Amino acid sequence: MKTTFYRYSIIVFLIGLFISTISIAQENDASNYRMLFNVNTVKQYDNTRLLEASFIGRNKKDRKDKLPIYDAEIKFFNTLNDEEILLGTSKTSKEGIAHITLPENQQYLTDNEGYIILKAVFEGSEGLEEEEDEISVKNLHLELKLSEIDSVKMVMVNAFVIDDLGEKLPLEEADIIISVESMFSNMKIEEGTIENGEFEFKMPTDIPGDINDDLTIYATIDDNEEFGNVIQKETVKWGAFHNHKAKGKNTLWSDYAPIWMYVVLTILLGGVWINYIYSIINLIKIRNEGKELEMYTENQ
Amino acid sequence: MDVNSRKRELVKEFSPMLEKYNTSFKIWIGILIAIICVGLYAFILQFLNGHEITGMRDNVVWGIYIINFIFFVGISYSGAFIAGILHYFKTPWKNSVLRIVEIITVLSLVIGPIFILLCIGRLDRLHYLFIYPRIQSPITWDIIAIMTDLIGCFLYLYLTFIPDLAILRDYDKLKVSKFRKRLYKFLAIGYQDTPSQRERLEKITKIMSAMIIAMAIVAYTVLAWIFSLTVQPGWNSSIFAPYFIIAGLFSGVGVIIIVMFLIRKLFKLDRYLRKVHFVGAGVVLLVLSLLYGYVTFSEYFSRWFSHKIHDIDLLDTLFGRYFWEFIAANYIGILIPIIVLFFKRFRNVKSITFAAVIAVLGMWLNRYLIVVPTLETPYLPIQDTRPEFLFYSATWIEWSLSFAGIAAFCLFFTLIIKFVPIIPMSGIIDNERHPHKKHKKSKYYLIE
Repeated sequence: MKTTFYRYSIIVFLIGLFISTISIAQENDASNYRMLFNVNTVKQYDNTRLLEASFIGRNKKDRKDKLPIYDAEIKFFNTLNDEEILLGTSKTSKEGIAHITLPENQQYLTDNEGYIILKAVFEGSEGLEEEEDEISVKNLHLELKLSEIDSVKMVMVNAFVIDDLGEKLPLEEADIIISVESMFSNMKIEEGTIENGEFEFKMPTDIPGDINDDLTIYATIDDNEEFGNVIQKETVKWGAFHNHKAKGKNTLWSDYAPIWMYVVLTILLGGVWINYIYSIINLIKIRNEGKELEMYTENQ
Repeated sequence: MDVNSRKRELVKEFSPMLEKYNTSFKIWIGILIAIICVGLYAFILQFLNGHEITGMRDNVVWGIYIINFIFFVGISYSGAFIAGILHYFKTPWKNSVLRIVEIITVLSLVIGPIFILLCIGRLDRLHYLFIYPRIQSPITWDIIAIMTDLIGCFLYLYLTFIPDLAILRDYDKLKVSKFRKRLYKFLAIGYQDTPSQRERLEKITKIMSAMIIAMAIVAYTVLAWIFSLTVQPGWNSSIFAPYFIIAGLFSGVGVIIIVMFLIRKLFKLDRYLRKVHFVGAGVVLLVLSLLYGYVTFSEYFSRWFSHKIHDIDLLDTLFGRYFWEFIAANYIGILIPIIVLFFKRFRNVKSITFAAVIAVLGMWLNRYLIVVPTLETPYLPIQDTRPEFLFYSATWIEWSLSFAGIAAFCLFFTLIIKFVPIIPMSGIIDNERHPHKKHKKSKYYLIE
């Protein structure tokens, strides 16, 4: 009886070892989730256009519980009235994001005001209904010019749209952010407004840049109603990396420790080691006395 | 009193401990060596494959190796502290525990730093610490402190061994190998127990006693600073150094009681390791557990009350995922020793040892809670938050190396007490040579 109990206990224990409490099953029931389907566009610094659709389910009861829809096929269109041009197709990632990049020379259908209407469509599956979303943006051209005039480093931004006749029409007004590239994300340097297609800004001279003194400067129009997101960037040797060599101050982060630290450590260690040496000298004296005593005893 | 005949009597009394190697002793040694071999195999695997085969990752870069390191070094420093203080006590009962404390001190200080080496991902770059030391780094202070302390403790242990080594050298009938006899002769450095030699040895031992107390405080403070000088929640605390010292003393006294119990049991040394020793150590443990409980409460209470975001995150982790460990370490590990040791009726050898075991286990767990949950709640969460990256759990490699460390400690301890008697014979003779009348009258000396 006892043996059987032990045997079953061991079996239960061994089975228990294979059960993982952190394993998560794939969700296959979306009825508790409300689908959020959004399309967005970014005109990138190389004048290509990124089209991005995010497809995420949000729990109807717990709004914090979000479930990305993975492997859903999203079609991207450029539409005008009843006309529809397929721009490309992409599947959503594990984060629920599908995107395509359109080349600089991509031709778009535009309405009378110059708006491009971009649409993302999910055609539905067994468990999910059809979804679609669209966005209208004007094709804004952003130029970033960096110049140094009398040792003053100037950042100049020109923003314009091109009309049907090929004429440049300056942007009337829009908010712009100037930032520099850093390790994890861009560091904001200035926020301002483009007026009549122009924005000028005096660049600070104490930004380190990379090891080659290169500084990558970004001009960003963020989430604009008319133009969406537009980014432009330029790299220039304006970094002050090599001017930032720290002088040998007595701080813990410099190459040299503070003088008092050397002094205290030397006194402490010196005191201890002098004592060790003193002890060893005394041990030698004990040994010598022992030797003398041994010789004396032998002579006796 | 004829000193020479008394010396012979004592060697005769302790010689079975030094001469006999019975079957159970051999099995014990065999088990310890087997555990160490498993640890060596784990070390080779870790060396070849890197830390990938441990539970340590980018987030939790320290695991049970550093916990073992703090734990062993804490025991060592507390041992040094206690040994140093005991040396100044003129009581005869200190003699029985002094050597146990001294051996624990040195061995812990040898084993502890090995664990820090296991923590280093690139052992092949270890020498850089010595070639390019940054004197402003607490890690460098720690290396200097540990190495200096280790040499000091070895020297101190050796000084206390010399009179006994001389007694063993002079006893011809001791049935040990010729090599061992030659070793006794070499290590005894011609000590003949003359008044001048005795006086000289006593003088330097006394200075060394004071020195190792100071070094223990300095070195363990530096170890605490490795944590508290960072800005990590849970570590950045101004009371961490005294907290570590009290915690080290607490666990150190616990280990001493456990070792005393085992030695008394195994070698039937009830005559030397008497109840009075356990009661004395138990009262010290009681005082330390009260102090330790107070400091622990103070540490967590101030964090909870100040309510800084990251401190609260840490406390949520401690009272959430580590709830039972926290209860075991900071409630059971402190309150049980206090309850057992507070009431006089519980103060017997077994219950005092039980309290010590609980204290030591609780202390180890407390170290775990200081290191791991803090690293699991970083300021900047890493982007890939796979559970195995975010949360730490030790692998068999780490456990086997930890047990190998404990086994090595036990093995060396066993070998040392086979080399010299665990009760200092010279101490017994000194007590008989200069009887302390005052203490003979004392309560503690008379009560069994």
